[in-house]
Amino acid sequence: MDTKPLVELDGVSKRYGAVAAVDGLDLTIDAGEFVAIMGPSGCGKTTTIKMLAGLETPSAGEIRLAGRRVNDLPVWERDTPLVWQSLALFPFLTVLENVEFGLRMRGVDRTGRRRRALSWLDRLGLAEFAGRNVADLSGGQRQRVALARSLVTEPPVLLLDEPLSALDAHLSVRMQAELKRLQREIGITFVYITHSHSEAFTMADRVVIMNKGRVEQIGAPKDIFLRPASRFVARFLGGNNLFAGRVARMERDGAVVTTADGSFRVARAAAAGVRVGDAVDLNVRSDRISLTQQTGWSGNEVHCRLVSEEFVGALVNLHLETAAGTEIVAQLQQRDLEMLDLSPGTGFVASWHPEDGHLIVPEAPQPLALAAE
Amino acid sequence: MTKGPLALPVRLRRALYGALWAAPMPAWQLVFFAAPFALLTALSFWSVRNFRLVPDVSTAAWDWLLTTDYVRDTLLRTLAYAGGAAVLVTLLAFPAALAIAFVLRPRARAAVLALLVVPFFTSYLVRVYSWQTFLADNGIVNAVLRPLGLEVAGMLNSPFAMMVGYATLCLPLVVILQSMSLLAIDRTLIHAAHNLRCGPLRTVGAVIVPAARPGIVVGAVFAFILCFGDFVTPLYLGGGKHPTLAILIADTVKAGQQWPRAAVVALVMMAVLLTTALAALSFAYRRRGS
Repeated sequence: MDTKPLVELDGVSKRYGAVAAVDGLDLTIDAGEFVAIMGPSGCGKTTTIKMLAGLETPSAGEIRLAGRRVNDLPVWERDTPLVWQSLALFPFLTVLENVEFGLRMRGVDRTGRRRRALSWLDRLGLAEFAGRNVADLSGGQRQRVALARSLVTEPPVLLLDEPLSALDAHLSVRMQAELKRLQREIGITFVYITHSHSEAFTMADRVVIMNKGRVEQIGAPKDIFLRPASRFVARFLGGNNLFAGRVARMERDGAVVTTADGSFRVARAAAAGVRVGDAVDLNVRSDRISLTQQTGWSGNEVHCRLVSEEFVGALVNLHLETAAGTEIVAQLQQRDLEMLDLSPGTGFVASWHPEDGHLIVPEAPQPLALAAE
Repeated sequence: MTKGPLALPVRLRRALYGALWAAPMPAWQLVFFAAPFALLTALSFWSVRNFRLVPDVSTAAWDWLLTTDYVRDTLLRTLAYAGGAAVLVTLLAFPAALAIAFVLRPRARAAVLALLVVPFFTSYLVRVYSWQTFLADNGIVNAVLRPLGLEVAGMLNSPFAMMVGYATLCLPLVVILQSMSLLAIDRTLIHAAHNLRCGPLRTVGAVIVPAARPGIVVGAVFAFILCFGDFVTPLYLGGGKHPTLAILIADTVKAGQQWPRAAVVALVMMAVLLTTALAALSFAYRRRGS
């Protein structure tokens, strides 16, 4: 598989009047990659995919497909099929005719398109439904018809706009596995829009997190999960505890960060690239926090009180508050709770290893805060 | 609340309440459709003696219908005119509806749809009369064409004039019906077609027409029904030279009080309309796939 960039977005912006839905987006996607673009509603992810499909025209920047500028190429001349959130199957055509549609538009002869459409229906386990009306299919089956309709022309890239959002949770999880397997088998580049962490992290090779029309972070799911690049990403992913502070001093094996809740150590790897005086956010994942009822352990410690308890199956989220008013979430195994007194207001000591702390350096320095020090 | 002797079970009270609201429609149908229909059917078996109706069980009127050539010719002519008008009006209306639904911005669209209602403010009879002054040999159209040497004689009292009259009758209605059904199309389907390499022009045939089929067929059925029973256009623009069944009914009544024959023609018209409407609607709502 050649790895020259298949899809390139170069400083792409889309403005509606004074509002920028997408603001200076740079993104390069290689052939065969599975990229998920994720973000909250209004972050610009849907506008981005619409620009890739040609349903929206960029206000600035350049979009290239296989090295060719496509900014001004109309939708119907592009080779970027989209799997729609609403599926957009044609209700007046049968399942087979829906799948054949793209081939018919390309002038593939009747026998050729029937054979190719049937082979895709067969591959997705829908062969027996070929003659049915799409309205008679279940949600999961319609989903597969939409996939077959987009893949039948074997495009270099497939765009997917929250395709699983209409399915129930159980079916969605099954389809995630199927989609990932399908993408590996056929080697077509997938650009997948979603607001769901589980969908993005389960399937994608790379995840792009967007906010307010800009990219917050691009990376492998694990990197983003372990090392969110910004406060926004940490909050958006959830399960992160943030302590705003400042680097107080550098030591041989790491750094010390001073926050409203006290001073905490971080390991050297996490402290790479920061200097004394830098404003930073110390981030600790909620599953890395231990709770005890006495002090005395040598790691990072902060005193807090239990506010509430949230049951999530095998795991429990304990919501706590420090004396300085910082909210802390600790995620524990159900069995770890048996030793703890869980009445609201109970005092705890939350602690974590220096290796579990991760520093987020805000993009823009804060000269005012520096002056105050 | 105390339970009086007249207190009814809740379920029965609900049923009565529902029946009360539903009653006007069946009552109307009974008085103004079922009863006249029964009367008309009975009337078709009566006979006429000395220009007076006599209750009877005679098949004379039905025999007349089945054996008289000009009755059959008139039925076929009426079918051809109404069918032709329905097709013509549907074709004329479609580009307009397409523009209203997909080209105009919402505010302009609302204005145009409102303007399409304006023709209904004037009596249809008045509009047809005014076409006479346009289409007559010495009318307004020829007054404009004459200086250009393009004078057309015999426009009035021709099938052409009748199509003009039929379009006057039903074109605005058909444009409105088609626009509504085009506006109801999910725009995502159109974008999805474009996304699958279906260009704008091709999308009209491949997606827009099939998606709007019920509305387009219903519009054509309305046009057919209105034109099939119309009396005004054949009389004032067809000049009686091309009689339709409506004219035939008037003539049989005027000439010799032939009410049973008129009843027979009316019953045949109803049968034709019902058959056509049902066939067209079953086509409009036909589903693909097993």
